[in-house]
Amino acid sequence: MSEIKPEGRAAVADSSEEQDWAAAKAFFDSLKTKVPRPPKPQFAVTIAVSSRTLFNMVAERKIYEEEGVEKYVAFQVEHEDEPLSPGPAFPFVKALMNVNSRLRQLYPDSEELFDIVLMTNNHAQVGVRLINSINHYGLTIERFCMTGGQSPIGYLKAYMTNLYLSKDSEKVTDAIEEEIAAATMFMRQSETELSDTQLRVAFDGDAVLFSDESEIIVKQHGLDTFFEHEKKFENKPLAQGPLKCFLEALGKLQRKFYAKNERMNCPIRTFLVTARSAASSGARVLKTLRSWGLEIDEALFLAGAPKGPLLQKIKPHIFFDDQMFHIEGAKELGTISAHVPYGIGQKYNRGKLIEEPAEKK
Amino acid sequence: MVSVVLNTDVKQEDAGNAVVVAVTSRALFESGLEDDDAGVWKLSLAFPLLQAVQKVNDCLLEKNPAESLLLDVLLITTDSQHQKLSSLLISSTKHHGLGVGKFCFASEETFVDSLLENNVQLFLSTNKDEVQTASQKGVPSAMLEARKKDSSVSCQREDLRVWLDEDLISLRDSASEPGSRHSPQRFLAKLGEIRQRFSVSDSPLWISLVILHGSRENCGKRLKTLRSLGVSVDDVYCLAGAPSEPLLSVLQPHFRFNCCFMD
Repeated sequence: MSEIKPEGRAAVADSSEEQDWAAAKAFFDSLKTKVPRPPKPQFAVTIAVSSRTLFNMVAERKIYEEEGVEKYVAFQVEHEDEPLSPGPAFPFVKALMNVNSRLRQLYPDSEELFDIVLMTNNHAQVGVRLINSINHYGLTIERFCMTGGQSPIGYLKAYMTNLYLSKDSEKVTDAIEEEIAAATMFMRQSETELSDTQLRVAFDGDAVLFSDESEIIVKQHGLDTFFEHEKKFENKPLAQGPLKCFLEALGKLQRKFYAKNERMNCPIRTFLVTARSAASSGARVLKTLRSWGLEIDEALFLAGAPKGPLLQKIKPHIFFDDQMFHIEGAKELGTISAHVPYGIGQKYNRGKLIEEPAEKK
Repeated sequence: MVSVVLNTDVKQEDAGNAVVVAVTSRALFESGLEDDDAGVWKLSLAFPLLQAVQKVNDCLLEKNPAESLLLDVLLITTDSQHQKLSSLLISSTKHHGLGVGKFCFASEETFVDSLLENNVQLFLSTNKDEVQTASQKGVPSAMLEARKKDSSVSCQREDLRVWLDEDLISLRDSASEPGSRHSPQRFLAKLGEIRQRFSVSDSPLWISLVILHGSRENCGKRLKTLRSLGVSVDDVYCLAGAPSEPLLSVLQPHFRFNCCFMD
């Protein structure tokens, strides 16, 4: 099986690394309560979630902002036996755990699993409450990085992160600049029930899976030019976007289920939800995916229609889009959304360019 | 023959409350390479540590000029070759203006006894065997880390960065003598006390806890154990067997101390 990590690690592992791995393996295997052993990071799909995406810390955040870090830490310590309530990434994490148990059943010795890491710049003393909360929900998170105020960016690479989710858009932007897939999570405004047997991930196309090259054309030259351009270059693959590697990693895990005849019962399903229209600009997208050797389970071309209602039907555990306009729409109708701050869409959303017609392709 | 010499260039600290940190001469000086002009040795790996220790002391004294809980550095020779070069060691130290309070000239056979006699609470060396020997005899010991030039961590380079870890491999390999467990705890308690002199976000001493092999449960327990010793750790990393080298490069600790947590 080829490696899931985009940067290939040296085939010959360092002996001290192997020793560390063996010691941890022995430790987990010896535990009386069977805690699933975390996978070897080199082979796993590592998802780093921040504390505020995993748990709802809105009230605590307010204390931090209004009263300062000392009071905030003291508050957390005082309440450390009270579990926090779930945050926006919580359903996603539960869905990842479910995929892992299915994978472990089919491939008991494989390290190709999801590796969930709590990546926060919280102070270590807040860690006790976070650990207690993780215990409370029985989440399989054994790896943490609580940096005590330092930016987590340097640590993302140290933990071989494939995807980073945070509520802090600055950190997310920094991560994307470091070529780590990342997105800013938003709490949804209403609760719709999500699948507990299948991980469902929805992606926007341009500036998420693909580069923003086509979006630039729309913004600068308008829709008609865009349509012409896309038809003309139908057979030229688009360049890749920040979340392409994550889709690729999902695809590799999906194929493990297909290999065991579990295609109909696969616990991972991927969706493309794009404002492109099938007739005029859709072909290029599908051909690009094909040229990358990637499959997407469902491709939905909206031809400019709002994404919110469709996402309501899809019910993904997470929906990635580069435009806040779509994120807002999705959120309002109960979809957990994650903003990918990449590409030309950012300049327009922040109103730097005054003239802004509604984003239509 | 062991002898202790005071460094007259440095103000001697109150023996009762000071935390004595011993550093080996081989870690501090590049022997054999003489600075042509002054005829003294060049500085080696342990120099950043001494600078960081100095910063901690300066900050402590700034907060309280009468502070007695300071870090007191003892330079110790651990082999007979260096033991004979006492005057060169003293002159090199003075030349570089290093904050070394005392010198102790010992050999391979006698250095551990010297450490114990001088109430050393932390022994730092670049020699793994020395660290292991001292540790087994009950002197809290740690390997000094080489510091890399480029680091993505944005904190001030002069802060004293301490890495405490739970290393199940070392725990298994080294059997320490009974009754020697108290010393690491005492050292940690003192370290914690120093840390408490500063606020959460503004401290010249930075303590990281790294759980190399254990689980989340271990992590929670260690945080609480350290807290009960009065050590408020700044950041914590639970690796569960993931490679520690990348983390080491990011954190850049001055030394790594195996906490030998015994359940």
